[in-house]
Amino acid sequence: MSNTDLEDDLRGTFERAAASVPEADGLTERATVGARRAQRRTWIISGAAAAAVAAIAVAGFGLAGSQDKPTQPPVATGEATAAVGATPQVLSGQAVAGKWRAVQMVGTRALREARPEDPVLVFKPDGTWTGSDGCNGLQGTYTIGQRGAFTATVGPQHLVGCENVPHTGVLHAAKRIAVSGDTLQLFGADGRQLASYARAR
Amino acid sequence: MEFEEYVSARGQELVRLGFTVSGDYQRAEDLAQIALMQAFRSWRKVRTAHDPHHYVRRILVNEYLSMTRRRSFSEAPTADLEPRRTVPDHATHVVNSDDLWRALATLSARERVVLVLRYYQDLDDQTIADVLGIKPSSVRATASRALASLRKARDSTRDSNRVDERLS
Repeated sequence: MSNTDLEDDLRGTFERAAASVPEADGLTERATVGARRAQRRTWIISGAAAAAVAAIAVAGFGLAGSQDKPTQPPVATGEATAAVGATPQVLSGQAVAGKWRAVQMVGTRALREARPEDPVLVFKPDGTWTGSDGCNGLQGTYTIGQRGAFTATVGPQHLVGCENVPHTGVLHAAKRIAVSGDTLQLFGADGRQLASYARAR
Repeated sequence: MEFEEYVSARGQELVRLGFTVSGDYQRAEDLAQIALMQAFRSWRKVRTAHDPHHYVRRILVNEYLSMTRRRSFSEAPTADLEPRRTVPDHATHVVNSDDLWRALATLSARERVVLVLRYYQDLDDQTIADVLGIKPSSVRATASRALASLRKARDSTRDSNRVDERLS
């Protein structure tokens, strides 16, 4: 049998198979309902992750404040920096610019799981950041002050459900940033590390 | 184009594509639904794509290939359809009686997908390569291997039929 005969037969076989498929009902409804359910799950997961990060940051701050030490935020004392081993340095948008992949994050274990999108953060020197939580594009702005003081805002985003990497929760809670070589660390108000990122190539 | 318009225009095509790659009607519906769900989530992006259907088709095909790689994917695509459970119409026996359809079930998932995209969807090798994220040369090699397997399976079926005829 020649290839052409076989190819013609294949076309016929596929056509017959496809023609035998009965009409599927309610595809639109099933797709939209399924997607919306996933969105709701994401709201809950993202909310819980953000709450967990915030709770840890607040709890840590409370503990630091309850000790017999000066009551000002650890950020200002330099003590917190020592506790986490980050070297105080003058940081700029240029220093943090680039693509970063999370290697450790408070409350998140499954950082290496496969996701539809690469869950990276990209800091740009112009004070904006973009990225993905694995399923949704993320964006926002950030500022870096003296001694690594850090603030970030989070822009509007889709909320597709998956094992979302809670970058936004971390960025919200982060008050300090440090970069050492190919490692970027974000710290909460109490000086505890919230997340660590490695520079992605 | 709104999502609902797209589904009513092309949804059934997706189920058919799902069936030709998987050989299982239930799975075909699942694949179409998953592809549509994913497309719906980012519809703003999909609708502005040069060819939204190409985008959704790519989701479906790759979802099927991912599915076959999972450990939980223990069932091979069915060669023989189960009329009551799958395709409840007269066309079932036409497909069932097709040696080629049965032989397709012996191919690997990727081989079968390449043949479906080439001979059912009439895509060129470059487009197939784009759908699967592989090189066009890999598409050609996969198709060639799959065709050789099918030819071999078919020849062997014909030989055994001839023997049966002589014996009867």
